[in-house]
Amino acid sequence: MGTFEDFKTHVRNLGDEVTETDFDQRGYHLDVVLTVNTVREFAQTAYDHGFYLVFVTGFHVLPETGEGGKTSGLEVVYQFAMYDRLCRVKARVSVPEDLTVPSICHIYQGANWHERETRDFYGIRFSDHPNLEPLLLCEEDKDFHPLLKEEKKLKSFEAVSWPAQRPDTADMDTETSSDG
Amino acid sequence: MVSKMMRESQFQEHNRFFLNMGPQHPSTHGVLLVVLEMDGEYVLDPQPVLGFIHRMHEKMGESRPCQGFMPNTARMDYVCALPYNHGYVSLIEKKAGIEVPKRAEYIRVITSELNRVASHLLWLGAYLLDLGAFTPILYGFDDREHILDILEDITGSRLTYCYYRFGGVTQDIDDKFVESTRAFIKRLRKRFDIYERLVTKNIIFIKRAENIGIISRDMAIRYGITGPNLRGSGIAYDIRKNEPYSVYPEFDFEVPVGENGDCLDRYMVRVREMEQSLRIIEQALDTLPDGPVRSKVPKNIKLAPGDCNFAVEAARGELSYYLVGDGTSVPYRLKIRVPSYSNLSCLPELGEGILLPDLVSIMGSMDLVIPEIDR
Repeated sequence: MGTFEDFKTHVRNLGDEVTETDFDQRGYHLDVVLTVNTVREFAQTAYDHGFYLVFVTGFHVLPETGEGGKTSGLEVVYQFAMYDRLCRVKARVSVPEDLTVPSICHIYQGANWHERETRDFYGIRFSDHPNLEPLLLCEEDKDFHPLLKEEKKLKSFEAVSWPAQRPDTADMDTETSSDG
Repeated sequence: MVSKMMRESQFQEHNRFFLNMGPQHPSTHGVLLVVLEMDGEYVLDPQPVLGFIHRMHEKMGESRPCQGFMPNTARMDYVCALPYNHGYVSLIEKKAGIEVPKRAEYIRVITSELNRVASHLLWLGAYLLDLGAFTPILYGFDDREHILDILEDITGSRLTYCYYRFGGVTQDIDDKFVESTRAFIKRLRKRFDIYERLVTKNIIFIKRAENIGIISRDMAIRYGITGPNLRGSGIAYDIRKNEPYSVYPEFDFEVPVGENGDCLDRYMVRVREMEQSLRIIEQALDTLPDGPVRSKVPKNIKLAPGDCNFAVEAARGELSYYLVGDGTSVPYRLKIRVPSYSNLSCLPELGEGILLPDLVSIMGSMDLVIPEIDR
């Protein structure tokens, strides 16, 4: 088990984008953007540093058409925290077009149910999951994913994210007005 | 040789059978089905089957203005609903920058802790009922009834409370509330002695709970176990202390922990927690500040773009609300992380190779509330 700084360095070395966030504002300390290839390594690093799994869930925004083609608009969001000190980490990975993300339930067995639930609600598949069957929804509704938003209700990722961090941190008031 | 092995394995196959425990079994406390692969009296693989009481609270939270979700928060864990109220109002207050008067926060802590004691009392009775002891549930319900009466007077409901509001609580507490709460604390302290003589030192109970269902630290990390189930394993992790919210830092209370992480430790932790909750209530009543109990809040609460997480300590462990706003009053995404979900998910590992009656003891000691898991 290493320190928090140690953890950050480790995650940066994996090639993931790590941003420190304002805990009082967001309720978590680190925002990590993963890629499909680093999900498992990240989970292993978190496990080695003594983080426990808080939850795994999905997130649906407007798909973007960029250089790499159209994205799926889906994200898997992970949250980890620690027993011994106050430290919450949010990690997210953009789901590729084939809707498949590596499962982390061989590292965190508790992710088993969370991933099954995410498949139920969003239709995201987790590769190497031992039993990706419906958990909360019934067998007949296998292809019905209630948390996917209708097209007209979808918003772009920018519209539902915090404005980019500005140099001065005391910008709570200006933030809300500039986006209203 | 091969044929002999095959015959043996066939013989073993014949000895195995599946047993459905639930969804109407008394010790599954709600509608939970556990499919047990059995070998005689031994459990080989217990697999919980969820979803019988799934209501898709998250979708409801994402399809109406945030005020409209308040009643839903009490219908997940209805045994200890006020911390669920607390988590949600605190989340929205944090997101929308709403100030809460100090008196309101004190009232929230007092009522939440009363609710926690009520939840632990119900669990105490129900757990011992699972183990075949009929009397404790009568005592537990008797005491719990007093709390329900006290809370009914100020909240208007007995179980599915919707007492907190963004910026405060619906109504102020009166002298009658303070009086009856103090009288109840006095009464419950005397009753603890009865519980101790009746249950804690009972040799049959100890035999059913000691060294059974041991949760290790590593296991807790892998499954995300929190609450008294975790503290029974000697890890003093309590959101009220570790990630302080509301006015909890102003009170002096301990976080009881166990040593071995078995059913008996989980029992002891909850019993000792009740006393700590009483201490918090006493201190809050002694130092209760004057003033308003509700601040002015705009009718249309705008949730600024961006995500926000808020965790509280519910009776069963860490409850996290994770919200993503989009500038309107309807949350764009609302994820509810409930403690029993992660706590129960370790059952297949915990219940491997144990006797069937021990599985009942383990599930009872976990204090499961199924509607909270299914949401």
